[in-house]
Amino acid sequence: MPARLTRPELSTDEGGLWSLMDRQETQLRRSPFAVRDPQLNEYVQGITCRLAREHCADIRVYVVHTPLFNANMAPNGMMQVWTGLMLRVENEAQLAAVLGHEIGHYLARHSVERMRDVKSRAAFGQFMGLFGVAGAVGQLAVIASLFAYSRDQEREADAIGATLMQQAGYDTAEASKVWGNLLLEIQARPGYDEGRSSPMFATHPSPTERQETLKLLAELNPGGRTDEQTWQAKTAPFMLNWLKDETKRGQHEESVALLTRMIGHAPERAEFRFARGEVYRLRGSGSDADAALADYQSAVKAGNAPAETYRGLGIVYRQRSDAAAARENFQRYLEAAPQAPDSAMIKSYLEELGP
Amino acid sequence: MKIIVVVALLLALAGCVSVTKVDSGDRPVGDRLTVNLDGPWNQINAPNLGPAQTWTMEGLPVDQLLLYSGIKNEQAIHAERVGAASGATPKVFAFRSTMQPDEIVTLFEGMLTRDGSRFELVKLEPAPFGGGKGFRFDYTLTRKIDNVQLTGLGYGIVSKGELFAILYQAPKLAFFARQSARVEQLCRSARVKNI
Repeated sequence: MPARLTRPELSTDEGGLWSLMDRQETQLRRSPFAVRDPQLNEYVQGITCRLAREHCADIRVYVVHTPLFNANMAPNGMMQVWTGLMLRVENEAQLAAVLGHEIGHYLARHSVERMRDVKSRAAFGQFMGLFGVAGAVGQLAVIASLFAYSRDQEREADAIGATLMQQAGYDTAEASKVWGNLLLEIQARPGYDEGRSSPMFATHPSPTERQETLKLLAELNPGGRTDEQTWQAKTAPFMLNWLKDETKRGQHEESVALLTRMIGHAPERAEFRFARGEVYRLRGSGSDADAALADYQSAVKAGNAPAETYRGLGIVYRQRSDAAAARENFQRYLEAAPQAPDSAMIKSYLEELGP
Repeated sequence: MKIIVVVALLLALAGCVSVTKVDSGDRPVGDRLTVNLDGPWNQINAPNLGPAQTWTMEGLPVDQLLLYSGIKNEQAIHAERVGAASGATPKVFAFRSTMQPDEIVTLFEGMLTRDGSRFELVKLEPAPFGGGKGFRFDYTLTRKIDNVQLTGLGYGIVSKGELFAILYQAPKLAFFARQSARVEQLCRSARVKNI
């Protein structure tokens, strides 16, 4: 583990980059996209500290409300973790794998290397100019793509990440699963093209390569914990909202693949079945209505189904002119969520369906 | 003056953007939708807009009025393929003629948030629109590009399998309240032929 990084002189190129990132961080701190739940932030920061140890004091993690798989780290110690990533990982060890990788970039000061590389080319004006045109979160997505690390840098970050995971007691085999899971999702996309699939992949080696490399690294240090139960308990209060964000992303094939995996991993979770039912209903092609109905019904059977499950059932039954079943489910929805923003619309459906 | 500023700004950003004045009175939008304006609006013409007509009072990106007329089954409600440049998959949000109001609102939500903005539905209720039984919805939108909080309202109806809708959104502070009465009047005046 290298010594703690010291703030570079402002007059240096690295100092200028830190200063720029400081301004971005000020904006991010105020951004409405920053998730402000203190317990969730404390939890993610705690995992980071276990990995980064003496560097913990220099790294600040921000959970950002964006339903895509991404995390990135700026050279000044500002790290972003998007909620789409939080939705996708299955346990604490998998999040630690991503955080450890980002810490690896930070410790090896890859972004500075990258800046100097870009600076040596004509693209530097564009590199710096882009910072002025987007909001904090948007800018940071741009920054992520600008710091398109070399494959060697990625391999080094993977190796550092695996070492940090192992030192913190996590099962390093979980790192390759992150990429394997994501690969399943993007392969489901029509016209699948590995490498053009997410902001994360735009800047990283292919998921297949990552998966294989990380598997080999894990074999060197087998064992460790996943902390899946802790992960589930800590993320449970947010999971339904993250799932709702996912269902509205408009990437139905990816969402079905993701949610099918999640249901396979935790078949008892009603909210996963509800979410896949929503995706099928919103896609609405072929036999999707049947699939939606089956998922909603299994969510109800699993217990603790979200209130919107009954709305979904009501909508499907209404489309099928099954007035009695539609009425029953709309009524259950209104009982469970009387203040829902669409309650007036649902009441009008009930009037139309009759007593 | 406002139009000149808007024109200059937009021309600087894209050489093929133009702004035309929409005069008050009855104005057709597409083949079947007509609205009555109590004052002039500015219509933005650009290759990456559509199928909705985009109008503004304050200038883009401050406020925008989207007018959808006769969107057909399987037709996308947006034109450009957002996301391709950043490596994300382009998303297509297409109308289906069997969609119910909740699903149409979710469709608009998807369209408005495809750049990562955040949408929150405030209210969805039945409402007359275009001369028939339509729906109305209110929402808030946090724009990702600049974190500005917008307030929005929309009306819609499906007639003969085609979607007709009007959406208006503007910054919560000052701008939305300044135009909301005019927008409500415009929406109430909307008529769909052969509904």
